[in-house]
Amino acid sequence: MTAPLLAIESVRYRHDAQSPEAVAGVSLRVDPGEVVGLIGPNAAGKSTLARIACGLLRPAAGSVQLRGDDAFALPRRERARRVAFLSQDEPADLPFTAREVALMGRAPHLGLWALEAPGDRALAEAALAEADALDLAGRPVAQLSGGERQRVFLARAFAQDAALLVLDEPTGALDLAHQVLLVRAVRRRAQSGRGALLVLHDLALAGAACDRLVLLRAGRLLAEGPPLEVLRPELLGEAYGTEVDVVPDPATGQPLVAPRIRR
Amino acid sequence: MKRSAAVRAAIALLALAPLVAIAVGVGLSLGAGTLPWTAALHGIEPDATVLFRLRVPRVVLAAIVGAGLSVAGVALQALLRNPLADPFIFGLSGGAAIGAALSVAVTGTALGVAGASAAGWIGLLPTQLAAILGSLAAAVLVFTLGRARGRLHPERALLVGVVFNSFASAVVIALESVLAPEKTQAVLLWLAGTLGYEPEGVLVAAGAVVLVAAAILTALAGRLNLLALGDEGAAALGVDVEATRLLAFFAASAAVGAAVALTGLVGFVGLVVPHAVRLVAGPDHRVVLPASALGGAAFLVLADAIARALFRGLGTEPPVGAVTALLGAPLFVLLLRRRT
Repeated sequence: MTAPLLAIESVRYRHDAQSPEAVAGVSLRVDPGEVVGLIGPNAAGKSTLARIACGLLRPAAGSVQLRGDDAFALPRRERARRVAFLSQDEPADLPFTAREVALMGRAPHLGLWALEAPGDRALAEAALAEADALDLAGRPVAQLSGGERQRVFLARAFAQDAALLVLDEPTGALDLAHQVLLVRAVRRRAQSGRGALLVLHDLALAGAACDRLVLLRAGRLLAEGPPLEVLRPELLGEAYGTEVDVVPDPATGQPLVAPRIRR
Repeated sequence: MKRSAAVRAAIALLALAPLVAIAVGVGLSLGAGTLPWTAALHGIEPDATVLFRLRVPRVVLAAIVGAGLSVAGVALQALLRNPLADPFIFGLSGGAAIGAALSVAVTGTALGVAGASAAGWIGLLPTQLAAILGSLAAAVLVFTLGRARGRLHPERALLVGVVFNSFASAVVIALESVLAPEKTQAVLLWLAGTLGYEPEGVLVAAGAVVLVAAAILTALAGRLNLLALGDEGAAALGVDVEATRLLAFFAASAAVGAAVALTGLVGFVGLVVPHAVRLVAGPDHRVVLPASALGGAAFLVLADAIARALFRGLGTEPPVGAVTALLGAPLFVLLLRRRT
């Protein structure tokens, strides 16, 4: 039996002593070959949980294991070889070119002087192609549009070549074609035994992209299961506090989710 | 920029080597008087002494200080994510100034005698020793006050450094107002950054400090690149942000400390050489760090040669700290206009 890529056990976290718990006892696992979606309203604890999963925030209680090893006992570089993280707020004003940023994904694999081998350069190049950012390779990231920049940071995460991808709102800045491209790239990786944890606001996209959805509210797990079980109007209505319509896509049967807006 | 970082660093260093050679050539040729080279090289006095006892150590000193200040500038700009950071930003200049002013003020008293004998024992002047101690104390103070909740906050440290530097300049002004005019003059000259003639042992020690600091910083260069992604972004790529920051701060401070001890406060080099190198070579610290070491060395050797040559016209040697800005500012503006 292979160990899960990620196993989070009843973690608790608060940002400081006065604030309420951002994550209040959540368990979560991602198995090889799985794409798991983390959904829920603002301030539900999605991004905090994503950071805990990457070992970037240490929970006050509970445990985080990456492929069977305690995430906080692993050497940092080894941890970065097991999990790649794409943040919601990557810097916009980087002087580095897209190619240089993609190569940064190779950092946990490099030696003392941090010099890349031809293999690292080839992987970065392939990652840029996978994120449809190869034509941006020579341009400074600061000069790119928001969506282009997002693709470059995706390429960095791909180049990191970790078994688990944790992507926080990866589609926010992406147009429709690039959303599809991202989902396909993540699913392709899952087919080869890797996995992903995606924080998503677009629920229809979450349903189409993920094998399993985890619905959070106020730091607690509200529901978990296959998209058809979680994306139900009454459940979403309760979680988000507004009326939600869910209809099957006429072509694919996948759930389409929209808030009901009365004017 | 399709070439690897190693290749780009090698290209940058090869491109800078002739510049360093020219600077050294100029540095050895220029001076208060003309030097008959053949005589000097054949050991004929006094020309041999002028060349080997005066000009060679002077060029070596300028190269060490220029390289040290430049690599420190690169490191601090990266650590603070602030292009205006210079080697003295952490209160080092203020601490050195207080130390120097105090030592000038008390020279001749018992403390001065004790200081002078302690300093003489390691081949330094009391002012130099006081300046090193002052800048060390300032660095420790800024590191201590810049910490909160168990980690160093760059913005906080930056603020503490700036505030400390203004406090220090107030202390120096207050001291100057009670000092005799010629003592005030000595403090002012020292603060402006002046190259002198140092004993061989001191040069070797300072050179070793700068070399080790530059090697540490170059080994950290890949991590300094990742810090541009933010603390969290760097940590997600396996960087121990806190350890990297502390090691880089102390390596940079050691290089600055060596430079301050030998020359006082030579401005401009550590701020502008890194920017000039980045304009040409791009932002990758694996290239910028070694290239700034060579570029800074060449620049200060050249500036010092010009300062010495000005002796012929002015009858006195202007502080090299003034020449660096006089020479560097227009050069930098030219480079900036050509590149953007």
